[in-house]
Amino acid sequence: MRSKRIIIALMLILSLLFTGCSYRNRDNDSRYNIWLIVKSTDTQFWLSAFAGANAAKAEYNVDLTIVGPETEEDYEKQNEYIEQAVSEGADAIVFSAISYSENAAAIDAAARAGVKIIVIDSDVDSQNVSARIGTDNVQAGMMTGSAVLDTDDDEICVGIVNFAQGTRNGQEREEGLRGSLEDDPRVKKIYMVNVASTPEAAELGAEELLNDHPDINVLVGLNEPLAVGTGRAVVDLGVSEEVRVVGFDTNLECVELMRDGAVSALIAQNPYAMGYLGVESAWKVLEGESFDPNTWIDTATTIITHDNMFSQESQQALFSFS
Amino acid sequence: MNTVLLLSLIGTVLVVLLSAMLLSIRTYQKSLVRNAANNSRRTIAQVSNTVNDYLNSIDTDMAILTESLESPEVDRDEFFDVFLKIRPDVIAVSTYDSYGKLANCYSLFDVRSDLEVNTSFNPYKMDDYAEGYVSAPHVVSLFEGAYPWVVTVISPLDVGGRERWIALDISCSNISAYINDVGIGQRGYCFLMDTDGNIVYHPQQQLIYSDLKSEDTDLISALEDGDHIDGSVIYTIQTLKNTHWKVIGVSYVQEIITDSVWELGRILLIAAFVILVAMLIISTILSRALSRPVQGLAEAMEQFEQNAGDFTYTPVGGVREVRTLSESFSHMVIRLQSLMGTVKDEQVNLRKTELRALQAQINPHFLYNTLDSISWMTERGKKEEVVEMVNALARLFRISISKGHELIPIRSELQHAESYLQIQSHRYKNQFSYSFDVDDECLDYLCNKITLQPIIENAIYHGINGLVDGGEITVSVKQDGGDIVMAVEDNGNGMNEDQITAIMNKDRSDHTGIGIKNVNDRLKIYFGQDYGLTIKSVLDEGTRVIIRMPKVKEESEYEK
Repeated sequence: MRSKRIIIALMLILSLLFTGCSYRNRDNDSRYNIWLIVKSTDTQFWLSAFAGANAAKAEYNVDLTIVGPETEEDYEKQNEYIEQAVSEGADAIVFSAISYSENAAAIDAAARAGVKIIVIDSDVDSQNVSARIGTDNVQAGMMTGSAVLDTDDDEICVGIVNFAQGTRNGQEREEGLRGSLEDDPRVKKIYMVNVASTPEAAELGAEELLNDHPDINVLVGLNEPLAVGTGRAVVDLGVSEEVRVVGFDTNLECVELMRDGAVSALIAQNPYAMGYLGVESAWKVLEGESFDPNTWIDTATTIITHDNMFSQESQQALFSFS
Repeated sequence: MNTVLLLSLIGTVLVVLLSAMLLSIRTYQKSLVRNAANNSRRTIAQVSNTVNDYLNSIDTDMAILTESLESPEVDRDEFFDVFLKIRPDVIAVSTYDSYGKLANCYSLFDVRSDLEVNTSFNPYKMDDYAEGYVSAPHVVSLFEGAYPWVVTVISPLDVGGRERWIALDISCSNISAYINDVGIGQRGYCFLMDTDGNIVYHPQQQLIYSDLKSEDTDLISALEDGDHIDGSVIYTIQTLKNTHWKVIGVSYVQEIITDSVWELGRILLIAAFVILVAMLIISTILSRALSRPVQGLAEAMEQFEQNAGDFTYTPVGGVREVRTLSESFSHMVIRLQSLMGTVKDEQVNLRKTELRALQAQINPHFLYNTLDSISWMTERGKKEEVVEMVNALARLFRISISKGHELIPIRSELQHAESYLQIQSHRYKNQFSYSFDVDDECLDYLCNKITLQPIIENAIYHGINGLVDGGEITVSVKQDGGDIVMAVEDNGNGMNEDQITAIMNKDRSDHTGIGIKNVNDRLKIYFGQDYGLTIKSVLDEGTRVIIRMPKVKEESEYEK
């Protein structure tokens, strides 16, 4: 009877080998359907992220749908997109939340419907996220702080222009920034304004801030539109000699302002990597790989200043290759 | 089924199959790798030609532009305007003076008035530029609000005037068109690298710039032109003529080959499976036909070895050879058994013949001693006793002969014993007394003749003789189930173990009459090993000899 068992075992092994052989590639009909839902579709930051996402789309042969609301405050539109993605059979959503709290319910509902959730750039309050990818925003805030403090001035008064209070990455950047400023005795005052995430709103906010507090000698714009807006405000008010601007991201306008000296430093994130890694991770999660969702997959952040903006690294960080 | 046989068969087949598989896969893989490398080399050669042509065309452009620089300022502007429009890949044409300061810049973009940094021309590298130079990709810093990625081609100028250098900023778009769509295998690609190991153009340039991809440029720049297989990657390298650029082809052994090898492996595995199944069936059949009957045969032989006499052989089936073997064995068994029977019969006959010869003999001592006694009695005139002695002697001889029968009724055997005891008690002048204790039902059964006499003789000579007190000899015959048990008991000197063994194993030394061993042998020959004679003796107390035999009614049952 022993020999019979051995024979059966052998046959089982062989048949396993066969099935192993015959199971190989996914065919084209069953390509993964991945949605990339972001905060807006017209900033350079997001365009770069889309380029990265498209690179991953080509590499991993997935279907990719990219959507985002017109303004970076419209979390309700984002929730609609999430529902739409679920109803259109998305396998995974790569998501950048406008609101840490208000997007949570829609994301949880999508996750319950079996959709894998990958967060990029900005977090959402959900336990159902498979992976988180983006800038370490507290770290980026501290880098902003070090750029603010990189001056010979004896007294520093900071004006922070931040975006919607519900957005997680803005809060974290501010937290990091304030943390690094607090330790420096030169910092005398920190003023604060929250505006909608558009250059125009930021410009108005920054001008108001400058008018109300003429002692401000450093302005900080904590994302791309805000950086553009604060830069414009300083130029329009003609105070670019007195007020330094530290901005975020690599908008061409900011780059030009930096060449002119109006913007003294830019914290360049890596949106291309976020887009690419977001789609790549979605694919990997769908293929069964698992990530630790509580650890951010950090995409590199670089400080770019007027002096180093044409170094090889800065060129690569500032200007997308196309 | 024989497990060892089966396993060894399976093992052999698997080993053979697997090694065949591995060998053919290896060969196949090698040829696939060679093909892949050839394929890659061809592709890279094509790309190299295209890129070379492009670079040559730029050289030509450079010559034309150089020439045009000699023409008057107005014509020059017009010419450059047209040139830049028909050559969209040329982003800017700029000239520099001997200090490396920008002299003129022609471009469709807005050229900045304040130029703090110029990424296209580095005055400190003019020594490198003298032989003609192609830069690594960089962003052009010459324009307002535009930062295209270019490579810069720089040549020295000799046109008079203050312009000493001409630099062409060339967009990567043309090169990317040559490079991007090149596929080698399913996932392979190619890229441009300079001899210093900097990537000039890569289809995934932005991924490389974003640190999401990297090429092992250190490894690649150390390699010479040609194919290099590094693990699962095939690098094909070709250096372009007249530049320090290399075209690198990267293709993956795994993906090109693995699929094919898997396919082959699958076919081979299926073959292996089929063969294995076939083999299992064959081995089962073989086992049925060969191994099982042979095993049966072996078992039969073992049984035969242990008990040849009673063995009956049932032939086994199987293949012809085994059947032949089985039949031969069957014949052999029958033949051996008949031979054994013959030998046994011959032995028995021989012994019987011997016995008859012995029985026919009369112990001469006994005879002349008895006759001596008779004559002595006659002299004394003891007429009655003489008659008794002569009668006893006559009876003794008559029963001894018993018309040639071996088995006689126990009644006669007891008469024989009594006659002998009578004669001996006269001779020994009533030194001993004797008695019989006989179960009457036993009297009609048969026993070997002259069974008791040798034992009584032994009792008298070795037990009673020399005893001061009166000896006592008791002869008893009893039933014990299906057996008859006769016993001769005396109260004489007894025997020790050595004496008992000697008596049981030795023929009589005088070669006359019948010894105890002889009695025992006869019983065993006639009735088998379960029967025979046992002696129990205690020194100075006496000896008891027990004879056991079956109840026999007819002599023919045992007479052969």
